[in-house]
Amino acid sequence: MIAKKHMPHYMMVLPFMLLFAVFFLYPIASGFFYSFHDWNATTTTRFVGLDNYTRIIGSRDFKKAMWNLATYIVITVPLGILVAFCLALLVDSFKGTWSNIFRSAFFMPVVLPAFLAATVWRWIYTPNFGLLNMVLGWFGLPSLNFLNDTGSMLYALIAVDVWVSAGFNMVIILAGLKNIPTDVYEAARLDGASPLQQVRYVTVPMLYPVLFFVTTYGVISALQVFDVPWLLTGSSFASYGGRSNALMFPVMDMMGRGFGSLKFGQASAYGFILTAIIVLFTAAMFVFRKKGYDQ
Amino acid sequence: MTIEAAAEVPATRSIALTISPWAVLKWVVAICVAIVAVFPIWWMINVVFSEPGTPVSLNPRLYPTSLGAGFDKIMMIMRETDYLKAYYVSIAYSLLTIVGVLLIGSMAAFEFALFNFPGKRLMFAVVMLSLMVPTAVTIIPTYLLTADLGWLNTMQGLVVPGLASAFGLFMLIQFMKTLPREMLEAARLDGASHFQLYRYIALPLSKNALVTLAILTFMKTWGNFIWPLIVAPNPELYTVGQVVGLFNSPYSHQTVDVVMTANLLAALPPLVFFLIFQRKIVEGIAMSGSKG
Repeated sequence: MIAKKHMPHYMMVLPFMLLFAVFFLYPIASGFFYSFHDWNATTTTRFVGLDNYTRIIGSRDFKKAMWNLATYIVITVPLGILVAFCLALLVDSFKGTWSNIFRSAFFMPVVLPAFLAATVWRWIYTPNFGLLNMVLGWFGLPSLNFLNDTGSMLYALIAVDVWVSAGFNMVIILAGLKNIPTDVYEAARLDGASPLQQVRYVTVPMLYPVLFFVTTYGVISALQVFDVPWLLTGSSFASYGGRSNALMFPVMDMMGRGFGSLKFGQASAYGFILTAIIVLFTAAMFVFRKKGYDQ
Repeated sequence: MTIEAAAEVPATRSIALTISPWAVLKWVVAICVAIVAVFPIWWMINVVFSEPGTPVSLNPRLYPTSLGAGFDKIMMIMRETDYLKAYYVSIAYSLLTIVGVLLIGSMAAFEFALFNFPGKRLMFAVVMLSLMVPTAVTIIPTYLLTADLGWLNTMQGLVVPGLASAFGLFMLIQFMKTLPREMLEAARLDGASHFQLYRYIALPLSKNALVTLAILTFMKTWGNFIWPLIVAPNPELYTVGQVVGLFNSPYSHQTVDVVMTANLLAALPPLVFFLIFQRKIVEGIAMSGSKG
């Protein structure tokens, strides 16, 4: 009786929930199963317990990928958000048309697919005749091989990444800025706060939820970085990560184990290791946020 | 130099009263950043629309010099490579994904936003939790499932696994919550069926949110690199992203002109979309952030 009364509701959510169950919930469950099995798409599956997990964690590629990831995140996320924050303040300080023009210009890189950003920058970084080396040449500096020198590769990636993500975060922060009532600034000004103090004591605290969001979102997407380092290095399952794996990242390592060496059990386990890291991080962020509010 | 500067002082003094050094600095910084943001895209256009041959170090391509050469390159790529086919695949992939995401997402959002039924809270909670699960976990098992279904190198393999978009559902629910319930009630009293309420009231009233979601879905699908890479490795079903990847791979031995033409053609649809729907795109992204 109840089921019949609610039938129309269930019929309407059925397509979504069915696809969601088949292409989201089931893969999580099957991935969990594969992660404890040795399976290479041709032989029969064999239960190996935690072997996949220990093999990954013990491998040199994993350590290298994690080290790269940590360095990358520690630099990219704060730098990206700082740039985005400054750009948002900058756009906000202009009036009318100019504000729109600058916003559009700063936002433009976001519109490009990440694969394009990577491929365009690859040419800008080209040794000898690349655009960036040409500019260095103007200042009498020697030509650098940005994408093949282990010292500069990571920074080359970070530059592309900030170039792409700054506009995205800027738009979100701008929306937050618009929500801050002007009388708060008015009050701060009357109390004698300098523009810099207004930013420090009004804008930042009022933007706390927005900054929290862009940081969390930024770290979660940075943890899964793939397209750009993939295309800045060999861009094939036979060759990726660049010289001495200086641009090797966990998702690349995972995809390589799956599609390069056909170790799908290991690749599945890799996914769960990454998820565990993301869940731990998100939980830590929320604890941190609560503390921030309590203060 | 110093003499010139000194001579200019009286002239600039009156302006200096109205223009503070901060304002000048602000403009300089804004213009510099705008150049950094836009120049790589501008440069890509210039490389395409200039005579081939001169190395970039001699001619940095700061502005386009030959429109004809650009169109020649585009025609050459269309004729001699499978770019046109990839375009067709990418457009089909994007359009089918948009239609699917909008249709099943709006149907489910209609129920979640406006009605109560047993199990709703649980379903909603599970879907929202999935927003936290990274694609990295699901991509390999989803690929294996798609392979089991025999969908590798097929259009349905590209499209169907991505249709149940939790983000799209969330966005539509947020919007549909604001629909006027009195209107639905009135239509029901007039004898409209449940499906008619959705089709003739909720859907037309949600046009704004649907358009925004369609644009964001287009951007995401057009730019999706990793999923087509593994699910459709057959050249018959290459997307624009994969073709661009091939042109750019270190072993492709293509000249910068050809590569940038391939890049520009891939960038064109999102750039045109951006110019037309700029406000919607920005609003959509800002909205996704305001839930934080």
